[in-house]
Amino acid sequence: MFVTAFLFLSYGASPWQAYFTLFHEPFGTLRGFGYALVRTSPLSLIALGTIVSWRSGFAYLGFEGCFVLGASATSWLALLTAPGARVGPVPFFIFLPLAILFGFAAGGVWAGLVGLVRARLGGNEVLISLMSNYVAIFILQYLVSGPMRAPGSLPETRLLPRTTWLPFILPGTRAHAGILIAIAAAGLVWMLLQKMPLGYEMIVTGFNAAAARYAGMDVARRILLAAFFAGGLGGLAGTVEVLGSQHRLMDGISGGVGFVGIVVALLARLNPVAVIPTALLYGGMSVGADAMQRRANIPSSITFILQSLAVLLVLAFDALRYYKINFPGFSPRTPPPVADEVSK
Amino acid sequence: MSGSQFILSAFVVTWLTASLRLAGPVLLAALGETFAEQSGVLNIGIEGTILLGALTSFLVSYYTGMIWLSLLAAIFAGIAANIFLAWMYVTVRASQVVAGLVFNVLAVGVASVVYRKALGNSAVPESIAMFHPLHIPFLSNLSGIGPVLFGQTILFYLTIALAFAAHFVLFHTNFGLALRASGENPAAADSAGISVYRMRYAGTLISGAAAGMAGGYLVLAQVGLFRESIVSGQGFIALAIVIFGRWNPLKATVAAMVFGACDALQLSLQIFGTRVPPQILLALPYVVTILAISGLFGGKAVQPAALMAPYVKD
Repeated sequence: MFVTAFLFLSYGASPWQAYFTLFHEPFGTLRGFGYALVRTSPLSLIALGTIVSWRSGFAYLGFEGCFVLGASATSWLALLTAPGARVGPVPFFIFLPLAILFGFAAGGVWAGLVGLVRARLGGNEVLISLMSNYVAIFILQYLVSGPMRAPGSLPETRLLPRTTWLPFILPGTRAHAGILIAIAAAGLVWMLLQKMPLGYEMIVTGFNAAAARYAGMDVARRILLAAFFAGGLGGLAGTVEVLGSQHRLMDGISGGVGFVGIVVALLARLNPVAVIPTALLYGGMSVGADAMQRRANIPSSITFILQSLAVLLVLAFDALRYYKINFPGFSPRTPPPVADEVSK
Repeated sequence: MSGSQFILSAFVVTWLTASLRLAGPVLLAALGETFAEQSGVLNIGIEGTILLGALTSFLVSYYTGMIWLSLLAAIFAGIAANIFLAWMYVTVRASQVVAGLVFNVLAVGVASVVYRKALGNSAVPESIAMFHPLHIPFLSNLSGIGPVLFGQTILFYLTIALAFAAHFVLFHTNFGLALRASGENPAAADSAGISVYRMRYAGTLISGAAAGMAGGYLVLAQVGLFRESIVSGQGFIALAIVIFGRWNPLKATVAAMVFGACDALQLSLQIFGTRVPPQILLALPYVVTILAISGLFGGKAVQPAALMAPYVKD
């Protein structure tokens, strides 16, 4: 906060004014709040995916790939229902569940493959999932420049039929029903991890795979399921983005959201309940930053510095807080389990 | 020589020249990353470090016009940035993956703010003094292979020399042995009197210096100006090259050439207008890398055993 305040000063703007714009635009104006909600939905879905996989001990980083594949699968389905296409118009209440299924399955299978490699062959999921992002992005580039390309100079598909768009939920804004899907997903992930035996077994697997195996759990299958759910949520983020906000498939649709979502999950301390507010804060700040750039000519990338410094400081303090200082008479505290999980 | 033969040989010469040209900066970054990973640190922050190196060399060259000084400045910028990263990885013991990823975002923010601050909001990117391809008398004029092997910039030859030097240091010196021990079995290294922390700091700083220099290479020998999108994933490609090259500098050199060749072939094929989708060629190196580390071919045994595991001294 202080560092960026100095940065604002260097632009001849008062820091108070800048911070005011940064938060007033997304949270004080209806239009800005709508845009903030638009950015929140995919971010929180990816953050939820991160929570499912990382708490199960599967350090998946391939959400960019799941996102673009989920978006691709959904767009393909939506274009099939265009008037005059092979299937023709379909009522929205039939289309939406199908689209969710498609997006979820596309991301889930993609991540599930990495899960399979980890569970059966012991390959390293961090590196493999990082590499798989590129393969997925090339698949997207192939689709939008080849089979799914619309006539025109840009590599993108046709506009999706209006009947497939997610409804706008706040009059006068761009906010769409994707946020409701994200909230529902947060509830389901919370249920899975806190209330269901399966979720408990997944967390135990993440904590200590050997103990889980000793207790009779099928560790390989738990990892595979975690990968599938996580990737599915990532794919769903793509579905929401393409049906709610972009309304067509194009190259560069993800814009790094797959990585920012991971950061949001970490800021939310891998807690599904905290994900939506954190993502709203994060999405809101990027909306405010754009407004700041328009009005005060302060580059919006300043918020990159603000956001990443915040995460790095949280990380550093998390670790340093449990630095062993042994006072006589005090028993040393044990490090929190979360740090251990994340570092796997 | 008939017409079609002439076109073919021109195609091959352009293709190979471009392959080597594209391979240079990523190879340099990959060589440094090999040291970090051999010491047990997965430094994902090289993507951001390359960007900072590129910015530094651009600004220094813009204001002074001295290209060697700019390259040196880029190296120092890389080291400075990685002192912070090494502190996060080794001393704080934060998750290496998270710290690296977030650092990359930070680097994008810093680079774009500093760039605009330094040059104002002038829309026209300005070109700067650059390294030029060498013309070695006689050798450069050899038909076919001459321009490919002997028409690169001096940085390319420097990089190749560094690859051999890196191989020597890693596998034939005490320092290299200590470094690899810290990444393979830190507890054993510690009891043998090696400071694991110091080795991991060294590995991370070497990768920072190399990544900063790679940024300078990009700006000073290839692009000639700075854009925020100049790096666009080359740091991650360097990670792939390290794996593909099985954590060995000489094999990484070959791997970098393969990546460069696929990239260049894709460019040439687009110019010649074939029907092969360029994405297949672009994706190929990644698919091969994934297969190489999947464990299908026993790649697991080659990876430094303590990679990504923070070390706590008891």
